[in-house]
Amino acid sequence: MRFRSGQFGLFSVKRFVPLPRFARLGRSPWKLAISTFLLIIMTVNLIAQFSVSSVAQDIPKVLQMGTSADYKPFEFHDTSGGEDKIVGFDVDIARRLSEDLGFKLEIVDMDFNGLIPALQSQRVDFVMAGMTPTPERKRNIDFSQIYYEAKNTIIAKQNNSLTTIASLYGKTVGAQLGSTQEEAVKTMNQEAAKQKKPAINLVTRNRVSELIQEIKANRIDAAIVEDTVAQGYTGVYPDLQFSVIENNEGGYAIAFPKGSTLVAPFNKVLATMKKDGTLERFAKKWFEDQGKPAGIGFQQIIPSIPYILGGIGVTLAFTLVSAILGFIWAVVLALMKIAEFKPFRWLANAYTSVFRGTPLILQIALVYFATPQLVGYDIPAFQAGVIAFALNSGAYVSETLRAGILAVDKGQREAALSLGVPYRLMMTDIILPQALKNILPALANEGINLLKDSALVSTIGAADLLRRATVVGAEKYLYFEPLIIAAIVYYVMVMLLTMGTSVLEKRLQRSA
Amino acid sequence: MLKVNNLYKSFGVLQVLDGITTQLQQGEVVAVLGPSGSGKSTFLRCLNLLEQPTSGQIYFKDVEITAPKCDILKIRENIVMVFQHFNLFPHMTVLQNVTYAPIKVKRLSKDHAEAIGMDLLRKVGLVEKADVYPSRLSGGQKQRVAIARALAMQPEMVLFDEPTSALDPEMVKEVLEVMRDLANSGMTMAIVTHEMGFAREVANRILFLNEGKLAEDTTPQQFFTNPQCDRAKQFLDKML
Repeated sequence: MRFRSGQFGLFSVKRFVPLPRFARLGRSPWKLAISTFLLIIMTVNLIAQFSVSSVAQDIPKVLQMGTSADYKPFEFHDTSGGEDKIVGFDVDIARRLSEDLGFKLEIVDMDFNGLIPALQSQRVDFVMAGMTPTPERKRNIDFSQIYYEAKNTIIAKQNNSLTTIASLYGKTVGAQLGSTQEEAVKTMNQEAAKQKKPAINLVTRNRVSELIQEIKANRIDAAIVEDTVAQGYTGVYPDLQFSVIENNEGGYAIAFPKGSTLVAPFNKVLATMKKDGTLERFAKKWFEDQGKPAGIGFQQIIPSIPYILGGIGVTLAFTLVSAILGFIWAVVLALMKIAEFKPFRWLANAYTSVFRGTPLILQIALVYFATPQLVGYDIPAFQAGVIAFALNSGAYVSETLRAGILAVDKGQREAALSLGVPYRLMMTDIILPQALKNILPALANEGINLLKDSALVSTIGAADLLRRATVVGAEKYLYFEPLIIAAIVYYVMVMLLTMGTSVLEKRLQRSA
Repeated sequence: MLKVNNLYKSFGVLQVLDGITTQLQQGEVVAVLGPSGSGKSTFLRCLNLLEQPTSGQIYFKDVEITAPKCDILKIRENIVMVFQHFNLFPHMTVLQNVTYAPIKVKRLSKDHAEAIGMDLLRKVGLVEKADVYPSRLSGGQKQRVAIARALAMQPEMVLFDEPTSALDPEMVKEVLEVMRDLANSGMTMAIVTHEMGFAREVANRILFLNEGKLAEDTTPQQFFTNPQCDRAKQFLDKML
């Protein structure tokens, strides 16, 4: 296991503190490039130090639990108070476990199919997410004893008689990506092949809520879902029904990185909890008040609206920091692109080509998942998102900026040179201000794109607007209503930004 | 003050300057004349290395400025230039245009630079425009600001690259008057111009360039009354 100490190998602040020559950058764009990049890393690093040290320094032992909190009632976000708490059956057990073992519990929320990579990269110490110990998983990670016996169910529309495994042959059936239900469907297909029956057409989605929408949209005939979850959804949507099916390898267990020393102590406490009735008590608490919706549609999510709106701050902060860092990086790249020294140009052009030529969502995932494994720094989702966005936006803006710089009258450059103005001053005081004015509309567009694209960080679990909307959806077994609220908020923000830039543009037009 | 030795400049296959050797004395006002395409502007732009000569040497006060390790920015503080299209900085006011380089390059205090700047604006008759942006000025006013901007560096020499060619005829006079005052004050000047009357009246010396060669190097008196080469005679016939 790992203990947090506020120091990270590669990104230790100490190594970057002595930077005496920052104030006096040389004339070469290369020095500027290196210094700027260091500055970006330092800034992000400082944020990291602050956010980590506040948790770490006073409390020495923290256990990080990975979960996918979109699986009510096992783990989900309780947002009705306006604030956000991850609660549920699994969470109660985890709290009790760490209490008994003398650790402080920290919950890390992510997509279900990111959990096993997170264990393997030692990003979390253990995982509780309604995870079934299948033989495939056991090859890569360790499991505790089973703490909950789960049953799979077929969830489908009423009156279509999809109630047994045999009735599913030849139909289209959904399962959550990376879940045991997905495995269960594959096993059903092996059986179908033996019996020479048509195979089930398996469809996977990231979330159970998405599977439910697919059923309602008639894109799939049924979905395989765990029974307590099925209970919840059929309570909200009366046109759905569920039927329990036989499941011989069901049950949930706690997952650990291979060889973790936590397995034995956890098993011991689990055994005690089973014996003294704690597990049963938790089960009663979470499983018995299922499926009684408090009103319909929007009415249900009214208490959670403040929580969704809280994502505006995250989205705006994220967009702003990314835009600023991305812009600084873009200036460096643009200067390299117009440099006389050819390798600079090749480098900057190659960089731009790569970052414009690959999907942003992939860059985000790479930065977030690869950084801890490559440099041993457990990069938080917000930082990973900011870095990926800055790197990506830098590539786009540098092209705009390059065109803007080239569009500035060449007489300006000659006038500056003939007065003995050095390259760097000429760029910052004479050329760039004029270039910026020319490209302001393009920059505003980039800002709007960043704002909308910021929704992509929800894929790595940053609690932005979209993430919060989906979280509320999972809590309330609803899908469209929270998304519509998020869409309205995005639209309003984009409109405000558009209006702001047109005012700014008019001002600038007047000044010169 | 300035020595030019065997200066060549070519753009690709085009030979623009073809072995020019000459000298400028302190306080001299030299008019560089010649038909279009003769290389006058290129010659002038080589003197402060806005164009890099292909070969040959230029010495400013016995320092070879064409040497690779010469700090050309330092030299340009002393050899400033006034352009045909003014090239004022559009995002700065008139006074900011004039004081920018003294503050940022010569590191004068803002107050000192502004005192110098206002004094120069008074001399070119534009004190009341100090806080106006260049887009509000006429061409003649812009060029006078550009001259003030150049002089604010307190240079030892000023290069003028066709300073009146982009102006409406009624504005030429105001700019030439400023230049005449400057010449009378003893400033070393090299002027590429088509204003023959001005060259004749103000210059101490005429350099006549033809096809990249220095065809005549003589006094205005001699050049305008008795030009030596045929090309100069043709040129004068057309111009006068």
